[in-house]
Amino acid sequence: MAITGNSGIILTTVEEVLSWSRRNSLWPVSIGLACCAIEMMHTAASRFDTDRLGIIFRGSPRQADVLIVAGTVVNKVAPMLKLIYEQMPDPKWVISMGGCASGGGPFPTYSTLQGVDRIIPVDVYIPGCPPTPQALLWGIIQLQKKIKEKKEGKELKEIPIRVPTESKPIKQI
Amino acid sequence: MLWINPQKAERLKSAFPSLKISHQKNSLSVEIDKDKVLELLKYLKENPEYSFKMFIDFTLVDYPLHNPRFQAVYILYSPDYNERIIVKTWTDETLPSITTLWKGAKWAEREAYDMFGVRFEGHENLVRMFLWETYPYFPLRKDFPKEGIKDTYLPSLNERDNIPSHNYDPYHTAIPTLEDLEITERKRINKKNQIVLNWGPLHPGTHGTIWFLFDLEGETIKDCDIILGQLHRGIEKLAEDLTYTQIIPYTDRMDYISALCSNIAYVNAVEKLLGVEPTEKAKWIRTMMAELQRINSHLLWLGTTALDLGALTMFLYTFREREKLMDIIEGIAGVRLNSSFLRIGGVRYDLPEGSLDVIKHFIKDFPSRIKDYEDMLTKNRIWIRRNKDVGVVTKEDVYQYGLTGIMARSAGVPYDIRYIQPTDAYPEVDFEIPLGTVGDAYDRYLLRMEEMKQSLNIIAQCVKKLEELKNDKHLATENPYVLPTLQETYFSIEAMVKDFNLRIYGEKAPKGEIYLSGENPRGELGFYIVSEGEGRPYRLRIRSGAFYNLQIFPELIKGRTVADAVTLLGSIDPVVGETDR
Repeated sequence: MAITGNSGIILTTVEEVLSWSRRNSLWPVSIGLACCAIEMMHTAASRFDTDRLGIIFRGSPRQADVLIVAGTVVNKVAPMLKLIYEQMPDPKWVISMGGCASGGGPFPTYSTLQGVDRIIPVDVYIPGCPPTPQALLWGIIQLQKKIKEKKEGKELKEIPIRVPTESKPIKQI
Repeated sequence: MLWINPQKAERLKSAFPSLKISHQKNSLSVEIDKDKVLELLKYLKENPEYSFKMFIDFTLVDYPLHNPRFQAVYILYSPDYNERIIVKTWTDETLPSITTLWKGAKWAEREAYDMFGVRFEGHENLVRMFLWETYPYFPLRKDFPKEGIKDTYLPSLNERDNIPSHNYDPYHTAIPTLEDLEITERKRINKKNQIVLNWGPLHPGTHGTIWFLFDLEGETIKDCDIILGQLHRGIEKLAEDLTYTQIIPYTDRMDYISALCSNIAYVNAVEKLLGVEPTEKAKWIRTMMAELQRINSHLLWLGTTALDLGALTMFLYTFREREKLMDIIEGIAGVRLNSSFLRIGGVRYDLPEGSLDVIKHFIKDFPSRIKDYEDMLTKNRIWIRRNKDVGVVTKEDVYQYGLTGIMARSAGVPYDIRYIQPTDAYPEVDFEIPLGTVGDAYDRYLLRMEEMKQSLNIIAQCVKKLEELKNDKHLATENPYVLPTLQETYFSIEAMVKDFNLRIYGEKAPKGEIYLSGENPRGELGFYIVSEGEGRPYRLRIRSGAFYNLQIFPELIKGRTVADAVTLLGSIDPVVGETDR
């Protein structure tokens, strides 16, 4: 983005504006699966307050663009979680919160899904069992960086902005 | 230990000559043939001399080399005499259903069928409890591997070129399709009225991943069933492969809202089994931490239930206090939520300097906060209308369903493990147990508020005592079963050898069995441990309070509206990690 003078004009690309608005209004689906959901609630509540980052939890996947997988995904819930992911409109991102969602965690058993990336692609992994609210905030900021870096569509070259030169008085004859 | 008087058990032989009585150090059990078991249970329940009215738990234990293969274990409690009894029987394939005697056995029998494949004759609807209907295996059998049968190709869907850093197996256990889940749903409930409404499993109002099925006529619920297992992680199976100390972190992750209380229930059971006595200071620290955790848990309940009923402000207020409590727990135990603070024979760390001052400040500050909450809710017209007369529980229900915790006390049954079977420092502290009169959701709200005040009272006594015990040890390391502290391991060779042995081979518990429970904020959390003399349990059965409390939900909701379901579920306060295990 480039601001020209103080005249109230911003020169930018549509892509940049979209990326800026997307990364500053990440709306997650409020789905809690296990222990990590408690820490997710703490992140949203009074002390850490995700509203200041533009994060508002939505009840419906149709209104959301981030899926925070907070907790153990077991085999039985996996198809339903996938369904919810498919119901979200594009563009969408997935944060895998905690050890269980990332790779099965301490549950290498017959009923636990060993990593949520086997059913849906994951953008950011947050370690911890459970991760603290600070860690979740770190993960969200990582996602914001990722959205900012990702260039969608044709890469455009930066157009040099011509700064108006100082006007000189006309020579008097 | 609350077991039935041996002479009284001997007298049972006059009515049942084939009865075998086994009196061990930690338990008293009677064994009988399969065809007589229903008769014996009925006799125990209805004879006024025994009156084992309350159903506590039912489970199976698998002995592959024994014939018949499965041992059924019924645990009953007599409220009149304050006694427990274990009834055992053997079977290969079928057992008589005891749902005619106790309605609470319905889910326990479903679970036994799900996990072991034993069928129950006379059960009204025997379906799988946790896994889906088309799942072909019975996972808790000893010949089933812990990791399951990896037969499906499920690679990572992430777009990346490099190989994952951890040991990544692209083959995975089979996950169900949506059709499988539909079959599971159809087997539970048949549409008789207008519409079958699915509530959950991934719904913000269900407090986790519970799946409710409502058969609706207009807005009235005519029939209801609950599908559990959306958080079934197989902790009972995992525990058979771990040493006793290694299981402690898993008990945190069961009831994650009150992790310390779960730890205490488990560690007490193991200590009784091993014969370890924790130090005096550890006992007081445990009691103090348990009560802090109880306040923490009730605050979460208050915040989320009020949020579900439309009071968003309460959520923000209670979470402010919860943050303070979490900071205290983090300061003492090192971790905010799942702290695994307890060890066999004591606690992990000694109290850090200044921690008691922080707690004292909290005790001083918190009563005014409770008053704020009560001012906002207790006489609030909307709150009263949403809560009054919803889900009325009677005394008979408590015994029939094995309801414990707040659910039992709201019906006026003084069933509190801290009182009937006190462990740790509970015999020495002074506290009251509030009882309800009506048994509805509003009563349960009042009881939880009062319990928080009583917990504060207990914490104050603990702080006073702990100030006297300042220089005591927090871990009974002289006992051969207790892991030495890090300091000792580094500076003494004996402690290092002991540490190595305990960590590699586990605590070799004597052969036997034990059932011991603790008072969780959600009810009685019991651990039934069968030891075969190895370093790991042969079978660890977790009697979850929330599992049995939730079982009454379908009966209480019949004839009421969908809006009441939210209130009722809030007042039962289940945690899915504990119901599903």
